[in-house]
Amino acid sequence: MLKRKYLPHYLMVAPFMVLFTVFFLYPIVSGFFYSFHKWNAAQPAVFIGLDNYRTILGSRDFEKAMWNLATYIVITVPLGIGTAFGLAVLVDSFTGRWAAFFRSVFFLPVVLPAFLAATIWRWIYTPNFGLLNMIFGWFGLPSVNFLNDTGVMLYSLIAVDVWVSAGFNMVIILAGLKNIPQELYEAARLDGATRFQQLIHVTIPMMSPVLFFVLTYGLISALQVFDVPWLLTGSSFSNYGGRRGALLFPVMDMMGRGFGGVKFGEAAAYGFLLTIVIMTVTAGMFTIRAWRERK
Amino acid sequence: MKMKTTLTNGVAALALATGIGAASQAGAQELQYWVYSDFAQGDALALQQEFIAEFVKDHPGVSITITGKGDDDLTAGQVAGAASGTLPDIFMNATSVGAQLVSVGALANIHDQWMAMPQEYRDQFDADAIATCQPKPDEMYCIPYTGFGSLLFRNLTVLEKAGIDTSKAPATWDEWFAQMQTIKEAGFYAMPDESLVFNSIAAIYAMNGNPAEWGIDWDTKTTRITPEAMAATLQKFIDIKPLDSGTSRNDQATKDLFITNQLAYHETGPWVDPTYRQAAAESGLKYDFVLVPGLTEGSHGGIKSYEIIGVAPGPNQEIAFQFAAYVAEKNQMLRWAKLLSRYNANAAAMADPEVASLPLISVSVEAVKDAFDTQPPYFVQPVPSCYTSTVIDFASAAADGEMSAEEGAAEMIAELNACLQG
Repeated sequence: MLKRKYLPHYLMVAPFMVLFTVFFLYPIVSGFFYSFHKWNAAQPAVFIGLDNYRTILGSRDFEKAMWNLATYIVITVPLGIGTAFGLAVLVDSFTGRWAAFFRSVFFLPVVLPAFLAATIWRWIYTPNFGLLNMIFGWFGLPSVNFLNDTGVMLYSLIAVDVWVSAGFNMVIILAGLKNIPQELYEAARLDGATRFQQLIHVTIPMMSPVLFFVLTYGLISALQVFDVPWLLTGSSFSNYGGRRGALLFPVMDMMGRGFGGVKFGEAAAYGFLLTIVIMTVTAGMFTIRAWRERK
Repeated sequence: MKMKTTLTNGVAALALATGIGAASQAGAQELQYWVYSDFAQGDALALQQEFIAEFVKDHPGVSITITGKGDDDLTAGQVAGAASGTLPDIFMNATSVGAQLVSVGALANIHDQWMAMPQEYRDQFDADAIATCQPKPDEMYCIPYTGFGSLLFRNLTVLEKAGIDTSKAPATWDEWFAQMQTIKEAGFYAMPDESLVFNSIAAIYAMNGNPAEWGIDWDTKTTRITPEAMAATLQKFIDIKPLDSGTSRNDQATKDLFITNQLAYHETGPWVDPTYRQAAAESGLKYDFVLVPGLTEGSHGGIKSYEIIGVAPGPNQEIAFQFAAYVAEKNQMLRWAKLLSRYNANAAAMADPEVASLPLISVSVEAVKDAFDTQPPYFVQPVPSCYTSTVIDFASAAADGEMSAEEGAAEMIAELNACLQG
């Protein structure tokens, strides 16, 4: 009787569950299985225990990729959110056509295909006569090799990523700003709060759920960074990560091991290590949020 | 009575239709043919479709669908297709990824089919190109198709403004380097930065070593690069660093510098020629292309490589091989060469008077004679990515003055051996 009662519910969730199982759950489970095997996708998989994990954790490329990733996240996520927040506050201060204009302009990089964004930035970063180096030249500064100088490459990537992601985060933050009741600002003004004080004591606290989402999403996206550094460095399966691996990131390393080295067991193990990192970071974020809410 | 006749006719028609359907199903062979994306556009696609139409006409019941894919998509699709049993029947790729494709079972061993072809057919092909497809005497994994040898594109306007006699190409490295210095003094960029891309490093290395000193010895898992030849190569990068544009040979910016008369030389493959030809027609670019000089007169640097046609193992292997052999045959390769002015591995086609006099082809035929294969030997083992990145890292570090040529060569070789053994 109970089963019959809930049958329509099961039927309604069934399409999602079938697709989820086939295209999401099964690849994850089979990936986990292959991560303990030596497998090149053609010959039968050979069980090798934790060897793939040991190989990855002991490799210099993994160390390099994780170090690059940590540095990238520490800078990109706060900088990206800060920029987006600033843009959102700026756009929020406009009304009518100007608001729509700025919102569209700042959102434009989000809709650009990654290859186009990378091509534009490769141009801007060109040594000697790229846009940036031309500007440097006007001020008598030497040309910078943004995409080959290992001391600069990571920051070149960060600039592109902030440019690309700021528009997306801005739209979300802007929606959050619009939902803050105006009475709160009126009350704050009556109490003599300056605009800065309103920002600190009204806007940011009221925006905390939105900022939490943007932060979590930004972190997860940053952990999976792949396309922009791949394109900026002109990477291929046989050679990726740019000079001295200065723009080598875990997903690139995983792809290279899989399709370049034909080591799919190793690539699967890499994916799981990355998944563990992402889940740990996400769980940490939710734990901190829950703890703060309890306080 | 009438109803009975109608029923009989209906059953007969149904039986006939079913029979025809079954017969056509039994005889039908649908082949998937994957090519590089630039082979699936414009005139190149039209000619490929012409080849397909001709082949299908002679092989009733066969249909062939051509699909263009980018470099990495091609490889990823073939590797994934091998794993899932959905490989295309015939496909192109580069010799440099041959080992990956063999290791995943994407490439059929066509040795027996190849040997069954008439001697006259087999003799059409460049012997070195065929050898790249044959890692062992009884193994053959491809038919070599299009290819290239390094060319040195010269911007004649820049050279003339720098006071260089353009009637003669530089015959030796010393002569070329002296010209580069003159060009820089005249306020132009001499070259792109050759230390940034594996292939340009290989092209310069080819001046200093011999083919036995290049590539990987898979038996001992060591590099064949010698310290002497690599040190001489790195020294050249150090020497030309002040003269270069800072862009790599593959950058769009390099082509733009060349087109806008700011860059004198561009060492690369023939694929830039259509761009430069268009610039010549539209903006008056004056350029030509010559062989990459060697250390001594008559010797040359540069690299060569081939695109290949491979066949997937499986029930369609025989007909797929027949199609691959048809496409690579002299008449087709001659038409291909005429259309694109591009060198290919069919030596008989390249020797045909109709194309032998085309400048891009005649220089390319000469270029491949002395050029090194990019990453030999092919079809043995996948070259780990650390190999190419190590070569680039040390070459560019030496060029930037971070280490001497000798130190760079010694450290590079030690690192390459560690990469191959790790």
